[in-house]
Amino acid sequence: MRSPATDEEIGGPAASSPRAQATRRRGLRRARGLPFVLLYLPFLIMFGIGPMIYAVVLAFTSDAGDWTGFRNFTRTIHDYRFLPAFQHILLYTSVWLGSLIVFVVGLALVLHGRANHVSSAFRFLFYMPGALAGAASVLVWLFMLDPSVSPGSFLLRHVLGSDLFVQSIAPGKLPFIFAMIAFWTGAGGWIVVMYGALNTIPHELEEAARIDGAGPVTIALRVKLPLIRKWIAYMAILSFATGTQLFVEPQLVNQASLGMVPDTWSSNQLAYQLAFRYGDFNGAAAISVDLLMIGLLGAVLVVTRTGLFRTEN
Amino acid sequence: MKMQRRLWFAAVVTALTLAGCGSSSDKGNSSSSAGSGELTVWVDAARLPVAQAYVKEHPDKKVKIVTFDGDGNGATSLQTKIQLWNRTGNGWPDVIFSEQVNDPVWMAQKPFEFAAPVKGLIPDNLLSQWPAPSTAQCTVNGTQYCVQDNLAQVVLWVNKKLMDKFHYTVPKTWQEWAALGQKVATEHPGYIVGTVGESFSHWIYLWGNQCPLEQLKGDNNLLINSSDSHCTRVATLLDPLIQNGTVPPLSVFTPDFAKKYGGADDKVLLMPGPSWYAQAVFDQTLHVPAGRITAAAPLQWESETPVTTGQVGGGPWIISKHSKNLQGAADFVIWATTVFNPTGKEARPGYPAYAPLAVKWLAAQASNKYYAADPTPALQAAATQVWQGWNLVTYPDQPVWSNTVVTQLVAGKSLSSQLQPLGDALAKAAEAAGYAVTRN
Repeated sequence: MRSPATDEEIGGPAASSPRAQATRRRGLRRARGLPFVLLYLPFLIMFGIGPMIYAVVLAFTSDAGDWTGFRNFTRTIHDYRFLPAFQHILLYTSVWLGSLIVFVVGLALVLHGRANHVSSAFRFLFYMPGALAGAASVLVWLFMLDPSVSPGSFLLRHVLGSDLFVQSIAPGKLPFIFAMIAFWTGAGGWIVVMYGALNTIPHELEEAARIDGAGPVTIALRVKLPLIRKWIAYMAILSFATGTQLFVEPQLVNQASLGMVPDTWSSNQLAYQLAFRYGDFNGAAAISVDLLMIGLLGAVLVVTRTGLFRTEN
Repeated sequence: MKMQRRLWFAAVVTALTLAGCGSSSDKGNSSSSAGSGELTVWVDAARLPVAQAYVKEHPDKKVKIVTFDGDGNGATSLQTKIQLWNRTGNGWPDVIFSEQVNDPVWMAQKPFEFAAPVKGLIPDNLLSQWPAPSTAQCTVNGTQYCVQDNLAQVVLWVNKKLMDKFHYTVPKTWQEWAALGQKVATEHPGYIVGTVGESFSHWIYLWGNQCPLEQLKGDNNLLINSSDSHCTRVATLLDPLIQNGTVPPLSVFTPDFAKKYGGADDKVLLMPGPSWYAQAVFDQTLHVPAGRITAAAPLQWESETPVTTGQVGGGPWIISKHSKNLQGAADFVIWATTVFNPTGKEARPGYPAYAPLAVKWLAAQASNKYYAADPTPALQAAATQVWQGWNLVTYPDQPVWSNTVVTQLVAGKSLSSQLQPLGDALAKAAEAAGYAVTRN
């Protein structure tokens, strides 16, 4: 009984005082931040948290509202379209995420080493394809992938080996095609973000490294890269969630290919079909919750591995 | 604590994306027709002229026309829309035209329950003028829920100019047709005698040749036997032609096809296809000049009788049971199916299902300058030859054919090797739709 009290007496005053101060400071900061998020909060609850809770409730109940446990989950997992859809998504996300991280970071690092006017011109160039958002960009890509009208038809013929549109979108090529579409529409924006992140690195640091004898490659890999690690993690989390929830691209290609690409190609499409074609909102919610869990798991992994939110020095 | 909150944030982002995707396709809903005088009509692009003509003829009526994909190529737009309307309890259009002849089957049943029985809305003396097989296709569990706009019997389309030039005779049997295909491959490479790349090619080659891929045995029991000899023998017949390029796995509706085989120096020698091909495909899609195309009777399998043929379309008009203006809706459907019959360039693309109108339409077609010879005897004969052993089901089979078979034909596989996967995939689709499936 004595000793813990003694410990407290000894360590107490010295340790608790700065901690209390920090808590107070944080509380104050929180109060000041509140007006900034207040406008956003109702929308967040209405369109974000609300639907999510609704999905979770639906996933664990039947259409009559009775508790069903995990039955909706096991039922949808055994659906014959479930596994192929998740396989497609897995392949697509790994290809896309891999190329996104490598090329975005690589290009941003290369740009950051260039003279200012050169890099701004290239930043603009990279950003351009991203100005066509979502569905519009897919439509442009439908033309790009059709050898009879595509300006890059020689590439289609020699790299993809396709003389016809239907060969461009052959089942085996689809994850890569979709990854390419998503890369070109999304990469530009991220290159700009990464470039911004690189600009926050103090110039003195780079100078110091150079004086120590580091070349541009060493500076990029050993100094700049570790300093923008958190930005890369941030990109990975957001892109992982977007990647696993692929919908627009396969949906439009399904229409454009006159049904040659199944309308349940991605897991999100399967959820959509279950809900609106079969009227199985509970099964659809179960798949949505699966996707939510995958997104969360991915986020947790990235956050814990990179220390994304560690604030102490 | 902080990390946890950020995690929530990530979760919310996830959910937002999900929610965004779910609702992105909900747009384009029409509001329900409020007053009794107002009418909302959903049509595909090909039926837009009918709806517009109705508005022109009836300036006193308020009609809101909405165009949609018509459920073409086995899309399920209407299922998703009707689900949503049912869920929200309003928004249903009064009349829908669908390109999918099977749509009324699910529209009449749970959970959709959208279609209104036409008896009582359309007078009996009119209803009785639709041919019996057409009425049968609109009848679900003993009640008629739709009227077909057109009959879509498959005939053999012939490029008379080319056939004469090459000194070929028009084949009468599938065997003669296949032999001609072999001959064309060596004598005139680049020319074609058909195509197998449509989302509905199985309706042309397999339906017409009595392959049992959709045969109802009792209420809910479906026979899907892709290894039946009626299926395998067609595949064996087609494979060499797919191989030698005279029956390419390419859709006539793709730019690639028009570029390779269409235009003034068109390379379509023969093409088994439905009655609406003349206008919709040869004239408007491939731009084959006038004076070349005509129709011949459906191909026969050796000397087997009776001759049966396939069907591609036969789109129905459906009246909503939720309509507040049932009489107005019925009036529209009656006008569209029994009265509307412009001539010349604006002529109806398909063979009218309503018999008295078909007579008038055929008379106009017989003297239509577009044809190289009168196509009407072949069209008329084929109208009664559609094989009755292929039933209409609640799920679309076109995407199954497209993504299991056509994609593989494009990749160079044979049709024979794809019959088993086709049967398997159809069986899965049928089971997912609630059918009990028998495979042989």
